[in-house]
Amino acid sequence: MAKVALENVVKTYGPVTAVGDVSFTVQDGEFVALVGPSGCGKTTTLNLIAGLIPMSGGNIRIGDKLVNDLDPKDRDIAMVFQNYALYPNKTVAKNLAFPLQMRRLSKDEILRKVTETARVLDITHLLERKPRELSGGQQQRVALGRALVRDPRAFLMDEPLSNLDAKLRVQMRTELKRFHQDLKATIIYVTHDQLEAVTMADKMAVMNGGTLQQYDSPKNVFDHPVNTFVASFVGSPAMSLVPLRRVVDGDTVALAGNGWQMPLSPANARKALGAKSDKLILGARHSTIALHDTPHAGTVPGRVYTVEPTGDVTFVQVHVDGAIVIASLAPDVPVRSDTNVWLGFDQTRMHLFDGETQMALTQT
Amino acid sequence: MAVTSDPASGSLRRDDGLLRRIVAHRADYAYVLPALVVMMVVIAYPIWFTIDMSFYKTPASLQLRDRTFVGWKNYETILTAPAFWSVTLNTVIWTLASTFFAFLLGLGAALSLHREFAGRAVLRAILLIPYVISAVAASYLWKWLYHSDFGVIGALSVQWGFTDKPINFLDNIHTALPSLIVVNIWREFSFAMIMLMAGLQTVPEQLLRAAQVDGANAWQRFWHVTAPHLKGVSMVTVLLLMVANFNSFIVPYLMTGGGPAGASDIWITHIYQIAFGRQNWGLASAYSVILFIVMMCLGYFYVQALTRGDKGRPE
Amino acid sequence: MSGRVDGWRWAGRVFLVLILLFTAVPMVWMLLTSIKSQFAAMQYPPQWWPKEPTLQNYTKLLDPTNPVGNDFLRYMWNSFYVSLATTVLGVAVAVPAAYAFSRFRFPGRTFLFFAVLLRNMFPAVVFLMPLFILMRWLGLVGTHGSLILTYLTFGLPLSIWLLKGFYDNIPIQLEQAARIDGATRFQAFLLIVMPLSVPGILATSIFSFIGAWNEYVYAATFLNRQDQLTLPVGIQRFFAEFATDWPGLMAATFLMSVPVVVLFLVLQRYFVRALTEGAVKS
Ligand SMILES: Nc1ncnc2c1ncn2[C@@H]1O[C@H](COP(=O)(O)OP(=O)(O)OP(=O)(O)O)[C@@H](O)[C@H]1O
Ligand SMILES: [Mg+2]
Repeated sequence: MAKVALENVVKTYGPVTAVGDVSFTVQDGEFVALVGPSGCGKTTTLNLIAGLIPMSGGNIRIGDKLVNDLDPKDRDIAMVFQNYALYPNKTVAKNLAFPLQMRRLSKDEILRKVTETARVLDITHLLERKPRELSGGQQQRVALGRALVRDPRAFLMDEPLSNLDAKLRVQMRTELKRFHQDLKATIIYVTHDQLEAVTMADKMAVMNGGTLQQYDSPKNVFDHPVNTFVASFVGSPAMSLVPLRRVVDGDTVALAGNGWQMPLSPANARKALGAKSDKLILGARHSTIALHDTPHAGTVPGRVYTVEPTGDVTFVQVHVDGAIVIASLAPDVPVRSDTNVWLGFDQTRMHLFDGETQMALTQT
Repeated sequence: MAVTSDPASGSLRRDDGLLRRIVAHRADYAYVLPALVVMMVVIAYPIWFTIDMSFYKTPASLQLRDRTFVGWKNYETILTAPAFWSVTLNTVIWTLASTFFAFLLGLGAALSLHREFAGRAVLRAILLIPYVISAVAASYLWKWLYHSDFGVIGALSVQWGFTDKPINFLDNIHTALPSLIVVNIWREFSFAMIMLMAGLQTVPEQLLRAAQVDGANAWQRFWHVTAPHLKGVSMVTVLLLMVANFNSFIVPYLMTGGGPAGASDIWITHIYQIAFGRQNWGLASAYSVILFIVMMCLGYFYVQALTRGDKGRPE
Repeated sequence: MSGRVDGWRWAGRVFLVLILLFTAVPMVWMLLTSIKSQFAAMQYPPQWWPKEPTLQNYTKLLDPTNPVGNDFLRYMWNSFYVSLATTVLGVAVAVPAAYAFSRFRFPGRTFLFFAVLLRNMFPAVVFLMPLFILMRWLGLVGTHGSLILTYLTFGLPLSIWLLKGFYDNIPIQLEQAARIDGATRFQAFLLIVMPLSVPGILATSIFSFIGAWNEYVYAATFLNRQDQLTLPVGIQRFFAEFATDWPGLMAATFLMSVPVVVLFLVLQRYFVRALTEGAVKS
């Protein structure tokens, strides 16, 4: 296994910038989850690493070697394609054997590896079938198998579990995680499922509009999103964001809405003072917001919009100053729509963003 | 660690000059090169040659050294000749009538064959045979059917009381062109049929059922559901038929040679006659150039029709 | 309501019967004529059914010791040879070109593709003279090479267009997967794409072969030696010399059509698919 490093990688299609100036390094043996909305350039990034499309600029290193001009076959990378890309005229067994044949392994060894991989993925009974005789989930496992059967320097996986049912997905997730631990494999893994990202990945790379927004451990991405995009993209339900004004009155700094003010703690006040203008965005996750039915010091008035019981917790959407804030309650607490409530924000766990740049404000 | 979403990063984009793109794709041209070389030699050269030749008066011998420049005179000769307009009229009738009836018969056959029944595949195959065999075979076959003394069509029309004695179909100025058109339809309708059958398969069954539920009768279902779905493929089919008919040479040449008295002469046979009969190469070339121009106009639609769905793909 | 539906269905059946008669009666009459003697064929009113059916027309054409049969078999061989060479060369040239048009986006691609397609619009006759001069200059007049070269260019646009349609339907990810699995670009093409494009290649080959087999105009102009002629020209020369022997001509026409019809029937599926593939994309 080897590390994979991207330096200022750019890919343009005519006027469209699919990937713009992306840099990050995946250490040897690291599992990186690549997340982002549809069309943000995830598949393109994997294709660039694999060498399937030419770069418009930048460098890619695998191990310590610059691979910019290397053919895909010489990069020694395995890839699971988003749409499987199984060879339709070959049986499952032949599909799995193909990469090994290309690398001129002996017949015995090919047979051994194919059998072993098929066993792990539970597709032994499908080995003699053609891809079109398989269900979507089965095809996906074969696609995964065609990568796992090899011993490459890194794995690229484009939503490899997206088509499995919930139970199988959990099971495969465990298998993949074990596989990663046992082999100390370098894996770059595209997913839309944040739970997958959080449970499996050492690092998360969040992309939007072709650029890398944040590259950090899942915990840091969750706890310290660098901008409003990451804040609203990571976590379910997403972090609530409320655009407000900054009011400075002597030593006290407060956030002001329509007819209310919330004084900030000294730490938050210092952050707020770092903003370029008076426009600030308050961010808070549902679990850090308390709901009161009477006003208290430092609470913010709102009006309940909807109540969504989920069983474990009840999510309450509250209108605050034109924005929606999601708070959570224990299921047995009674709340009704269209009643007035007061929200208490946990100042140690809330986030402040610059209203102009959308960047997180940190203590300086 | 964190990266900002600074829009200024777009400045890294490289300027894609044409030359640079050509150089970047130089390997791609290797794939099309053999085809292009062959086609250049055998297409570009003849076109250039024809245009050039259309401005000269040429000796019959095809010894190009002895030709004389005459400017636009050949074009003038063509456009002022009375034969030009009768030949053009014949060409229009020939092209439109053949296309119209071949399409109509093809549509009828496609609709009748759309429903599954025993022997459908065999029937389809039989109907396609005239399209597959050579125009030469078809011409001889129909020449025999139309034969003035022993032709089966003449004999049948007498037997059934249409005429008193066998008609000489191919040697009569009123019947020659229609008789050829029948042969052409015989050869081509199954092409329209096969295209339209494929088109019919794209009509969603559910829509027809929905229309039936809504109380539409068979004709209304055809008109409101089926016909709109056939529009695209019909246009392609009509265009391909028109081009093929406009260009067809063998049937009129072998069956009547354009006669009698030019009654079945169309552009192509006329050009052939000028070139290889009268050996007037300059005039024939000028005729060909006019034909090129007409074809180019049709060609616009032709290329449009054939390249539908040729959308972008990754490099 | 059901009565009306049945009405349409009956109309369809009647129509099918009529159109089958229109298609088949001429061909049946060709066969019936071909098993008559010359005397029996030239009668008025015609003998609807041959009174003394005979296969002599066929045995004569297929007998190498008979001068007529010898010529006919030679024409057939010439046709076969020219058509096969055209097909093989045509596929060899069209495959890479079609693949490039389908896969690559090089500058000028659209223009070149249009140029290729436009070629199909021009009738043979207007190219006849310039090509004759070109062939004379190349020293190919009177050889089969002139025909093969000409048919090649005739067939290429159609072949390229047909094959491109097939390649368009093969996902590019398959090649990408192969390249990641360790194949070179060429291996990916050879091992993954080629097997998948066999139907396309078959379809294209049928078209080239039938096109070359049936071609008349160039063959009539470029060839001059009797022993070089291909069938469409050959049967014409052959029978014009005597008073027209219609039963013999019908037999020859039938024999000439047999190979293409058999080829068509065997590979009908590909033929139909190729014909319609590009046109019914919605
Ligand atoms: N060949 C191409 N030509 C032009 N634009 C392209 C091409 N391939 C991708 N793009 C564009 O590049 C952007 C990134 O595409 P990409 O496939 O990488 O998205 P993605 O993040 O994988 O999305 P998804 O989650 O839907 O798979 C998109 O806007 C897409 O339209
Ligand atoms: Mg993708």
